[in-house]
Amino acid sequence: MKAVTVFLGLCLVFVFVWERVDVVRIGYQIERLKRDKTVLERQRDELRVKFSTLSASDRIAKLATEKLGMSLPQQGQIIVVQSRPSGVHPSGIALVELKVARNDLPSGRF
Amino acid sequence: MAGSLLSRGRRYVLLLLLLCGFGVVLFRLVTLQVLQAAELSSQADRQHQKTVSLEGARGTIVDRHGKILAMNVEVPSVFGVPTTVDSPLKTARQLSPILHVRTDELERKLRQDRRFVWLARKLDPEQGRRLDRLSLDGIGVVMEGRRFYPKGPLLAHVLGFSGMDGEGLEGVEHRYEPYLHGEKRMMVLQRDALGHTVFPKGMMERSPTPGHSLTLTIDEVIQYIVERELEDAVGRARAKSGTVIVLDPKTGAVLAMAVSPRFDPNAVSALSPDRWRNRALTDAYEPGSTMKAMMAAAAIEERVVRPNTMVFGEHGRMTVANTVIHDHERLGWISFAQVIQKSSNIGAAKTGMALGEHRLYRYLQAFGFGQRTEIDLPGEGVGLVRDPKDWGRRSVASISIGQEIGVTPLQMVSAVAAIANDGMLMKPYVVSEIRDADNHILRQIPPQAKRRVISPETARSVTKILEGVVTDGTGTNAAIPGFRVAGKTGTAQKIDPRTGTYSASRFVASFTGYAPADNPQLAMIVVIDEPQGDTLGGAVASPVFSRIGEQVLSYLGVPSNAPITLAMASR
Repeated sequence: MKAVTVFLGLCLVFVFVWERVDVVRIGYQIERLKRDKTVLERQRDELRVKFSTLSASDRIAKLATEKLGMSLPQQGQIIVVQSRPSGVHPSGIALVELKVARNDLPSGRF
Repeated sequence: MAGSLLSRGRRYVLLLLLLCGFGVVLFRLVTLQVLQAAELSSQADRQHQKTVSLEGARGTIVDRHGKILAMNVEVPSVFGVPTTVDSPLKTARQLSPILHVRTDELERKLRQDRRFVWLARKLDPEQGRRLDRLSLDGIGVVMEGRRFYPKGPLLAHVLGFSGMDGEGLEGVEHRYEPYLHGEKRMMVLQRDALGHTVFPKGMMERSPTPGHSLTLTIDEVIQYIVERELEDAVGRARAKSGTVIVLDPKTGAVLAMAVSPRFDPNAVSALSPDRWRNRALTDAYEPGSTMKAMMAAAAIEERVVRPNTMVFGEHGRMTVANTVIHDHERLGWISFAQVIQKSSNIGAAKTGMALGEHRLYRYLQAFGFGQRTEIDLPGEGVGLVRDPKDWGRRSVASISIGQEIGVTPLQMVSAVAAIANDGMLMKPYVVSEIRDADNHILRQIPPQAKRRVISPETARSVTKILEGVVTDGTGTNAAIPGFRVAGKTGTAQKIDPRTGTYSASRFVASFTGYAPADNPQLAMIVVIDEPQGDTLGGAVASPVFSRIGEQVLSYLGVPSNAPITLAMASR
């Protein structure tokens, strides 16, 4: 009986110690994850700025004109037309606007 | 017995001494721990701690489609604790190539008798990583927010910029400072018993509460189109400066606001304040003939004239208050609509005089001249509209043709937008939403009508006249293929500061109008200051309106009025 009581007591002490150790271990884990999160958030912010810089309209326009040989449409080359006078078809379907480029190229292609 | 008495006496003495000793200790303890506790505690803090305040992360600024225009990124800043640096010269030599700061300057800082000194702030992340690898005694790295404007000069005059300590100094950054700034955090440096600095563990953490984010009414693409065309126009005209504002006339939302020359808010330290001043709302100019649009609206609303009322042009020369008003052509009898279309000074002056000073003044006020538009940007000017009691005998005629009055480009485009908006003046604004760090909307700023200036019938009547300016008048260069455009040209002489009279060589060329005239989607003003060569508003500013208008209407998907034929081919 005495031995059983001692054994149970030791078990209780072991569980208590094990629990405290685990709490400390998880605490360290949480701290490490927090640090990782901070680093990742910082990287995300840097990437957002980079994306925003790279997608700036003037940069895109410069690349399009200088590297890809594209040019801005001249006056009258872009015409936006509506497929119907009203915005809603009698069937209830909303009509979308049709955007077309005027075909001024000698080759006959858009 | 005697020995016992002596022994007892000794014991009492000993006890008394012990009690006295304890009493002294107790007294000292109470003095230190209770009576002087606060003072000693703060003294200890002063000796062992150094607190440095770091600004919190500012909120992000995005355009109306969520594209980032300004945001904070955490970057390393380097500080030193000179009292713990063993060899300032050696440390300075190691830091110099990484920080790009001269060795002698770093050494001077590290030799100071101070416990904290900034060595370099807001560096690139790579510099921070190199410093980490060095791991120098007495040198620490802390993360601070650095403001980035990823689009460079785009929208710089509206965005403004923030200072080294993260406070908004100009533009939206300044106006919305209470919303944008984040919660400050304190970095505490502690010294141990040997006087060594203990670097805090938490200094690499992020700001606890970042500032709120702002959503602007500005459209990045429209802003780009406007800035590109304005820079091009100012360059071609070899002008001193230029301004373009694009509004949604139905709401007053500013879609674009550009000033040339531009500046990069990422590098403002070398620039003078003159360079970053938002002239679109600070600088007043004499508007010249663009004012005739408002005068026409007032005269028609007050039934002084109708579009077909005939006005005699005095063959191009009329005397008012012993001064002569000229027209650029010798006009005879013309309709009032033609007065505006041909920009007749004499016809406008006559109509203004028929309207009278009190009614003219009342409409100037109703259109918002001489008062702030209350746009949510700092530094707005009021322009110059004198009280009628200070007007001279020629003032009514002069003001009717846009002289003796100072307006800002923003006031002028707001007034024209009121005509486009069936006579309702809207308050212009640039911020539409304020969101917290979790992207929840805290505040939505709705369009705000200020007052009705003219009736919808008058507005339609004036629109028809202004359409004539573009189809048959002085503003034909403002025409946009496939769209009905209404607007008015202006060419105003600037006052020569040396003589105080109108200069013969310095002009302000402008065009203000809206499109499509039958369902306005945008109202715009183009102001070119001191163009060289061709100086007329119709030649310098109108083409800019046309080019911007065509691209913006296409971008907005506004359908054209022009009949087109689509040919379909199949193979």
